[in-house]
Amino acid sequence: MTSDLSQRQPLCGPQISRRHVLTGLMGTVAVSILGVPSMARATGQAQVGRTASTVPGIASQRIDGVAKVTGQKVYARDFNARDMDGWPDLQWYGMYLRALTTQGAFLGLDLSTLPEAAKPRRVILGDQLSDAMRAPRTLFRRDLAIDLQLQERYQAQRADPSFDRPDAVVFDLIVQPGNRPDFLGQAVALLVFDDIGSFRAAQRAMQFQDARFQRYEAALERAPAPAPGQPFFPQTTYVKYQDAFSYATADPDTYMAQVPNYRARIDAYLDAHPEFPRQSFMSRMRAMDPMFMEPETGLVWQDRATGTMNLVLGTQSPDHDVENILSMYDTPDAPFALSGITLTSCYPGGGFGGRDSSPFSLMLALAGAYADGNPLRLAYDRFEQFRVGLKRHAADISGELVVAPDMTLQSVQMDLTFDGGGRKNLSPYVASLAALCAGGSYTVPFANIHAKALHTENISGGSQRGFGGPQAFFAIETALDDLAVGQGWDPFALRRKNLLTPGDATVVGGPIRQELRLAEMLDIAEAHPAWADRDAIKADYARRGLTYGTGMAMSLQAYGTSGDGMIAAILIEPDGALTVQSGAVDMGNGSATTLGVVIGDILGANAAQVDMGGYTLWGQTGLTTDDPEGLRWDNPKWTAKSVGSSSACLTGLHQVHTVQQTAHGLMAAAVLPAARQIWGLGTLDRSQVTWTDGQLVFLPGGKDALPWPQIAGFIHANGLPRGALGHAYFQDIWSEADFPTDSGLVRLQLDGLSLYQTGSAGPVRITRQNTTGPDRGSKRYARYVWAPCVNVVGLAVDRRTGIVQTETVLSVLNAGRVHVPQLVSGQSQGGVAMAISYTLLEDMPPGMAGPADGRWNLHRYHVARAQDVPLATRLAPHRRSQELIVLPESPGDGKAGRGIAEAVMCSVPPAISNALRDAVGVRYADLPITPEVILKGLNP
Amino acid sequence: MSISFFVNGVLQEVEDSRAEGRLIDYLHDDLYLTGTKFCCGIGVCRACTVTVSKPPNPVPSPVISCSTVLATLDGSHVSTIESVARDGVLDPVQEAFLHNFSFQCGYCTPGFVMAARLLLDRLAVAPVPHDQLDEAIHDAIGAHICRCTGYVRYYEALRPLAEAAIVGEGAAQ
Repeated sequence: MTSDLSQRQPLCGPQISRRHVLTGLMGTVAVSILGVPSMARATGQAQVGRTASTVPGIASQRIDGVAKVTGQKVYARDFNARDMDGWPDLQWYGMYLRALTTQGAFLGLDLSTLPEAAKPRRVILGDQLSDAMRAPRTLFRRDLAIDLQLQERYQAQRADPSFDRPDAVVFDLIVQPGNRPDFLGQAVALLVFDDIGSFRAAQRAMQFQDARFQRYEAALERAPAPAPGQPFFPQTTYVKYQDAFSYATADPDTYMAQVPNYRARIDAYLDAHPEFPRQSFMSRMRAMDPMFMEPETGLVWQDRATGTMNLVLGTQSPDHDVENILSMYDTPDAPFALSGITLTSCYPGGGFGGRDSSPFSLMLALAGAYADGNPLRLAYDRFEQFRVGLKRHAADISGELVVAPDMTLQSVQMDLTFDGGGRKNLSPYVASLAALCAGGSYTVPFANIHAKALHTENISGGSQRGFGGPQAFFAIETALDDLAVGQGWDPFALRRKNLLTPGDATVVGGPIRQELRLAEMLDIAEAHPAWADRDAIKADYARRGLTYGTGMAMSLQAYGTSGDGMIAAILIEPDGALTVQSGAVDMGNGSATTLGVVIGDILGANAAQVDMGGYTLWGQTGLTTDDPEGLRWDNPKWTAKSVGSSSACLTGLHQVHTVQQTAHGLMAAAVLPAARQIWGLGTLDRSQVTWTDGQLVFLPGGKDALPWPQIAGFIHANGLPRGALGHAYFQDIWSEADFPTDSGLVRLQLDGLSLYQTGSAGPVRITRQNTTGPDRGSKRYARYVWAPCVNVVGLAVDRRTGIVQTETVLSVLNAGRVHVPQLVSGQSQGGVAMAISYTLLEDMPPGMAGPADGRWNLHRYHVARAQDVPLATRLAPHRRSQELIVLPESPGDGKAGRGIAEAVMCSVPPAISNALRDAVGVRYADLPITPEVILKGLNP
Repeated sequence: MSISFFVNGVLQEVEDSRAEGRLIDYLHDDLYLTGTKFCCGIGVCRACTVTVSKPPNPVPSPVISCSTVLATLDGSHVSTIESVARDGVLDPVQEAFLHNFSFQCGYCTPGFVMAARLLLDRLAVAPVPHDQLDEAIHDAIGAHICRCTGYVRYYEALRPLAEAAIVGEGAAQ
């Protein structure tokens, strides 16, 4: 089979610009989002989002696949100014120099030894920046104090403090000479080059020679603020005392005041039962680099003639990036009167959370101010990416499990300390989700959990895949394994005894409402030969002189946040082709492919085109998050949240739901009215039609089936809505409302529906009726939906070298409805590889012993290659293999998928550690478990 | 004096002063061929793989373009990902990776395509025994780093093509 590229033409012309307006102190700024531009010096656009499957509901390939497999320009790294329509060809280059110490003041640069050919056009130090440029007030959340202000506001007004706040830029973007750097890798200078020759010459001359060009005071006594080691706000405390007290159910205003009392009562209860077995644990985990393949890259051009800042970026958080950039220029002393921001949103070359609220976009926007109105390119190399890119947090975790003699879990006590690094970013919220994950998959009557993220001099942590889950699940699942071994209990039986089921509560106190099927998953894993035959397998390896072990673990990773807003549009082209637009970003997880096919059953065809990253669609909904009168859902324009950062785990349920509900709205508002008029009927109900081979069929009969081109032509010719824009909000439940359409009132699980009317420039909001939605209280449940996974790992240990080879991985996954099976298994396989890598290979010391010294790359930081991963997909004797068993969909799923991108790696690390304990009798409680660590454990 | 070589069949001549320049930079900056991807820049990840043949040996080899200076290319023929699909028709390797959902973010994909294409061409002219096929595949793409997929679907897609190649069926370019 072949794909004929020459026959594939763009279906919808230039990708649609979505505009909305942000209002700042200095006035309004129009924001536009563009898709990937056409290729320079070539015809046509990259085939991104344009290669759809023709079978409704089925994806035959990635919709972005042809572009990627042929090397077309789809990533920010691929673009230069010359590729951008309307930009000048001349391009400047930016380079930041990075702080080498936090112990002495940065005094300045000495570039006297830099060869003439490598001299920058301009050198910018921190004291040359205006206040706003040096330390922008990112959406009024400039520093740690803003969280305190928000808390005060919450307590005063009972307003909802949003979980998903923008990141805070705590410190100067460029250190001012005379000041001590606040963290390693903080920029101390910006060098700007006006041609690529001098830029590359400077790269060669300066790489690994930082100390030659930077001058520091030997020592400085004054302390930075906040002092290293102080926790970022907020910290998380989850104390649960049976059904009587929990974070979710207690009065928020008195919760913390009651915590000491309930802690004492828990201690008293446990002290009264000395017969209860106790299992203490302690784990230390190194930071991990997301090591997405494309180093962060961007273009900026400040078009001073129009007041527009043009950006090319691959980001997971276009909303945060744009709004924070706006804050940098939203002051009277800004170097550039900003009236518009145009963001070209590219497909990221991997993300894994590392591009979520990354400081890169601010550094790019800052550099753009010093290019004299020329386009500027900022492109990290891999050494820089290791040096400053967001990391999975290093963590220290300790605690104790207490269990009754009948294996009933009584208490989880856990302290989790995350190394947040120099910038706050999302660190305290990562720690907070880890605190929830500390309870594992289990119902626990008593919990005493505390999590915090510390400010340190290290590279900042961020929202890495799992968002704290990998660290917390590792702690509890290895502790459970030790408990089972110590008590002579079967590890499956111990877990089965304590499983969460609907009606139970998490350690936060929030209810489990979703069907989990944990027992069924354990049954499958336990009966599988990977576990059932483990003794025979071990003996077989032993006969061959090899040391083998088997371990299991399970996880209950949540997906989504404590409140998620999503946006999607579906447009009907005159030829009947459908376009889906979404505010989400596809980091490679397949969101675009999925969103293109999930409308197939509803609209009879897949999307011919899918445009991602369009968060500005929110500005066209006519909705608001302002609620001065406290009407909440009674205000027909109000919703609880606009849109948030993209996470791969938001696709399966949240984004799919939004697109599908919008499709239902479009069906009622446009397709059914068109069919009714074509068929000459007085009324037409959805139940009277079905889609067959892309044609709308009137089930009672007597009418010709309608192909999409005919329907679309009628819609466009007769002024019917040619598209719909939907907004959804989920917080334990969906918001929902009745929307009046030409087919009557239609109830949708949306809180906003707008229609693209002929003759109207933008979508027009339909006034919703009878709206219901989540109340304030459920926000304190923290999470609502879950993607359980059980792993069994078999591995071989070379006692001589300490090398561990993963032989088998069994994954049992509850994914709900599987929209695209290939994408689900692909996520699982990628998760297994990343988990093996995290557990056994990836080692990153803190401080200047690690990548902060600018000398780290893949020669020192080892990530899994094919040889490290079992590649066969069916378990069989003497064959390294991994097998994924996805639970068959159940009625309890309600036809909904689950976000599994993070779940598939959370229980692999503890299963590996548990398998190692089985193999060699040693508990490896710290990560990574490198060969050196193995040998140290074998020869203490 | 200048350095002469071909890229995708087109003659290139660069001044000796650029002899120390990297091939990947030349592809990106001079030819605007950005399909070859920069990742580590030190020749470890192999995302930047292209193929190079140099007379009198007509057999191409995989080359790490981030770590290859132009001086070494005089007289060579360089092929990049942009040359793989012909007249708008995907190569069987590209088709296989596409329809097996072998990649996710796709940034490593051009490197895998180049290495896999080279393997199939070699197997077509110098087949290996069936029991050595896994080793041959691993030698070809085993050092390539992919952060998204866990490699499984790359191997699954390539294996049938390699099997066909060693029995003289299809897949040859």
